[in-house]
Amino acid sequence: MLDLQGYGPRLIEGAGVTVQLAVLSLLLAITLGLFTATAKMSRNWLLHGIATVYTTLIRGVPDLVLMMLLFYGGQIGVNAISDILYYDFEIDLYINFNAFAAGVLTIGFIFGAYMGETFRGAFMAVDNGQVEAGKAYGMSSALVFRRIRFPQMMRHALPGLSNNWMVLLKTTALVSVIGLTDMVRVAAEASRATHEPFVFLIPVAVAYLLIASVSEWIFARLQKRYDIGFGEH
Amino acid sequence: MAATPLEVRNIKKRFGDTEVLKGLSLEAQKGDVITLIGASGSGKSTFLRCMNLLEQPDEGEIILHGDSIRFKQTRHGREPADMKQVVQMRAKLSMVFQNFNLWAHMTLLENIIEAPIHVLGKSKKEATEHAYVLLERVGLTARAHAYPAQMSGGQQQRGAIARALAMDPEVMLFDEPTSALDPELVGDVLKVMRDLANEGRTMVVVTHEMSFARDVSSQVIYLHQGLVEEAGTPGEVLGNPQSPRLKQFLTPNY
Repeated sequence: MLDLQGYGPRLIEGAGVTVQLAVLSLLLAITLGLFTATAKMSRNWLLHGIATVYTTLIRGVPDLVLMMLLFYGGQIGVNAISDILYYDFEIDLYINFNAFAAGVLTIGFIFGAYMGETFRGAFMAVDNGQVEAGKAYGMSSALVFRRIRFPQMMRHALPGLSNNWMVLLKTTALVSVIGLTDMVRVAAEASRATHEPFVFLIPVAVAYLLIASVSEWIFARLQKRYDIGFGEH
Repeated sequence: MAATPLEVRNIKKRFGDTEVLKGLSLEAQKGDVITLIGASGSGKSTFLRCMNLLEQPDEGEIILHGDSIRFKQTRHGREPADMKQVVQMRAKLSMVFQNFNLWAHMTLLENIIEAPIHVLGKSKKEATEHAYVLLERVGLTARAHAYPAQMSGGQQQRGAIARALAMDPEVMLFDEPTSALDPELVGDVLKVMRDLANEGRTMVVVTHEMSFARDVSSQVIYLHQGLVEEAGTPGEVLGNPQSPRLKQFLTPNY
């Protein structure tokens, strides 16, 4: 049947890298996205300006170019940080710590801009009366955010968020350019070595599909959770 | 002597070039029911929203129990100097909105216990017990686990009143509480409000319901273009209006 010619374990390892990279990038992107959305809705011109430059820059430049720019440009910084982590805290999480961190930072940074737009639209879709009721009952801005704005915003953000996630997942394939051994890179190496590309690329395609299907299921559950109270389900 | 629960002095507010409040004052003593009436655009809702700072008044003072809200000047105009003070003040003035504004992602019960738990720091058990007493009182015990979207407007508004009561407010602010309701649902809400007035709640009510204003107010204030045109007891203002505008306002136009 399927003979992976000894590349099986490495492919699985690569798949692990892909998933970790994607999930950590997503978390970073969501965090950056929330900040960006907040900054864009803020009256502070400086915050607003920074957020606008950020989203314009990211959305207007190809991901691959950004990735290489950030990787090569940020290499010194990332090195410095990983040195501090290693020597001062003895943290050495991954063998390819630098490339992995660079990958997470780059993808998180790119998708933070897209998330920012998704969240901004979603926040604006929340009825202002809901927010006013929170304020009128003595909630601080932070409490209004956590208890009212965020849960109500999520309902509007999830379709866009899930879309961004799917694109993000596939964008992780670009990290092989900066030397990270994700499952695409393993498959490419194996294909070259064995001259049997389909043997390796088809399982990789199936693996992406599998991850995508699982995430669609998770997003459907989340959507149901955040739709509670809005119409019948 | 107990200090006045709520006093506002000389509130002025402009939106762009339009001055909508031209210096309005009001004093709510304990147990007072003050109704604000006037045509739309007279500034009555804006005035009410200035009292809990959902709108920022450009001038004027807001004083709760002798404690005056502190303001500072910023590039965006006058703003509260201390948001903590505002947050504490709002917790004592619960508001009932025209569009109910029950939190859509929470059940009625969750709506009622939300602020008591997260703002007043009550335990969930205590807040829930109190909530059921209030639900009983507004006749919605059976709807405790319904979401606002599953309730009629009248039920939502009675639920919103229960939510307001759950804060044990010193003053309740009502912003046209029956204006968004179908006529047949207005009665239930007004009945709850009448009961509150009769038990001595301090209330400031913006309303178009003249019978409510006549029957339960201790004071009626008629606003016209951001100024008090007439103020006094319901007998004086509604029974014996002086200005032609108020006379016309009180004449049913059908």
